[in-house]
Amino acid sequence: MNEPANKAATSAALRSFEASWRARPADGLAAMRGEAMQRFLALGLPTPRDESWRYTNLRAMAAMSFIDAPRIANGAVTAAPGESWIAGAGMSAIRILNGYPQLGAGADSGLAHVAVRSLRAVAESEPKVIAERHTAAAESEEGRWTLLNRALFVDGLHLRITGRVAGPILIVHAANCPDGSHAVHSRLIVETGPGAAATIIEHHLGAGGGTLLANRATEIDLAPGASIEHYRVFSGDERTTQFDSVDVRHGADSRCRQFTVVLGGALVRTDLRAHLGGIGAQHDSYALLAGRGARQIDCVNTIVHAAPRTTSNQTARAIGAGSSRVVFNSKVIVERGAAGAQSQQSSRGLLLSPNAELDTRPQLQIHEDDVKCAHGATTGRLDPDMLFYLLSRGIERSAAQSLLIYAFLDDVLTGIASMPTRRAIEDALVEELPDADLLRSFR
Amino acid sequence: MNLNTGKQVLTISNLCATVAGKDILKGVDLEIRAGEVHAIMGPNGSGKSTLAQVLAGREDYEVTAGSVSFDGVDMLALRPEERARAGFFLGFQYPVEIPGVNNAYLLKAALNAKRKAANLPEVDAYEFLALIKAKMKFMQMDESFLSRGVNEGFSGGEKKRNEILQMLILEPKLAVLDETDSGLDIDALKVVAAGVNSLRGGEHAIILITHYQRLLDYIEPDRVHVFAGGRIQKSGDKSLALELEDRGYDWVRGDRVA
Repeated sequence: MNEPANKAATSAALRSFEASWRARPADGLAAMRGEAMQRFLALGLPTPRDESWRYTNLRAMAAMSFIDAPRIANGAVTAAPGESWIAGAGMSAIRILNGYPQLGAGADSGLAHVAVRSLRAVAESEPKVIAERHTAAAESEEGRWTLLNRALFVDGLHLRITGRVAGPILIVHAANCPDGSHAVHSRLIVETGPGAAATIIEHHLGAGGGTLLANRATEIDLAPGASIEHYRVFSGDERTTQFDSVDVRHGADSRCRQFTVVLGGALVRTDLRAHLGGIGAQHDSYALLAGRGARQIDCVNTIVHAAPRTTSNQTARAIGAGSSRVVFNSKVIVERGAAGAQSQQSSRGLLLSPNAELDTRPQLQIHEDDVKCAHGATTGRLDPDMLFYLLSRGIERSAAQSLLIYAFLDDVLTGIASMPTRRAIEDALVEELPDADLLRSFR
Repeated sequence: MNLNTGKQVLTISNLCATVAGKDILKGVDLEIRAGEVHAIMGPNGSGKSTLAQVLAGREDYEVTAGSVSFDGVDMLALRPEERARAGFFLGFQYPVEIPGVNNAYLLKAALNAKRKAANLPEVDAYEFLALIKAKMKFMQMDESFLSRGVNEGFSGGEKKRNEILQMLILEPKLAVLDETDSGLDIDALKVVAAGVNSLRGGEHAIILITHYQRLLDYIEPDRVHVFAGGRIQKSGDKSLALELEDRGYDWVRGDRVA
């Protein structure tokens, strides 16, 4: 017997996705959408038997029906749900509400070296730009949510970065779905010119009351010598499910520093795929995964070294409080011919509750001899010697615990180059810990 | 003869403690007055460090009998952090490294915790910086220590200096320095001794736990206790340390109560 486990349950969600797909316009993307939808339906929802979904059970979600989050016209919402707390001086902010970017007239972002267009506008004028894109995600079964995104995305952003952009570009993914069960499928495409450099921050908020399934995909193409610092920060509420994939394709000598920060949401699944296809390219990824309450976080990284002298570094720090469950699953593949590749993985988990669970799975597949690969994974509780040392100096126990939790995250936090972003993330993190006031005085 | 008439800071009576069911402290008696420096000497494994940890409130040890009165308060009823705020300080034998927790901030938080407990206002940033810089200069510590994690990457000697620095900032009523001299070269030993001597007198009482007589060349104790078999076997003035150096610990082991 090899009966799919969730067959009965999946149908409600699948039927609702199919209905959404049928409602999409018959435009230049229809063929692409149709093909993606058929493949998604054939694969069905992932079950724990799927290799990269073994820790995350979607049975409850599968029984639900989702409708598209409505488009809300510019200016129609006065009391905008969930302003981003990252927004700061020197940042250019673009809001995407229910999947639709809220852009002013025209493509002028007001930013030097960046052309911003809505994906819908691109679909109308140059559908080929989107239809002919292929991503590693959509080619693999693991990327089935990316397939669904391809079939259903309503809108999104297309950024073309041609030079060195001064301040961070903040993209706020907001949703206004006060009731019911809504799905948002949006997409971000970032194209860079040679030597371009920018910081892009995606901040994912909750729905403001209702149940939200946010299925978003980001694709970043790095031209030779281009350099991108990309953040995705999740701070949704306990009714928000996030499927978020980031695909980075590296040209020669390009650099990407990618941060995945999960501070909210009920279920957050993040995929990162970095394809180091250009000689000398480097990808550094950082993950800060804060599990608390009943939150489930499933962070899956796949790094492919496909060219000589490529470098990847992964740093993951996971905290498990409450009855949360946090998975960090990282796979590094070094293809034949990627001589001189260097890869390093450091993943550490801190268990704060007997009911929480942390799983880390570092994997290496090496098909080349001349490589340097290292990985380390540890999971433990707060160090009793460190705790006692702080207590013996008069620090309150709860504050001492918070301090040690904070210190545990140091390797990721200090990696954040954008200071206002780091401050904002630290502030949000502190809010989640006891003795916030004392922690603040510590910084 | 000890003519000190300072206030009694610590009174330990018949203190017994176990770890994992094993008796380690077997009836410790000790009295210290303000302004005094006591040395507790003894062989390895005699229970000296356990005494220090029990006084600091480490949960791994279970006190099975006896009492400890600190500044008139039942110390055993206090949590470790309360003992610290009440003016107790333990200088660790092996100070732990805490990467990610900044040295200067820890000191400031510790000082403010103590001041808050005494209903004093928090120390302001300028005042604190001036204080810590002066003390660091005295301890011959580089200012880069301020921005580093607690003991992170410190050498053994640096860690011990850092313990003394903390002591000087916190100005405890009672400091127990657990083998602060071990692993120090002679220059570091002198600096550490100068730190201890600078706190000496007035309201402060100090217990030096040490294996060797060497430290006592630089810090002259008012009383010397020989610790063996889980209790104090012999007490005397500084000449006891020299006698011990000559005759070895076997001399006191012979007196041990079974």
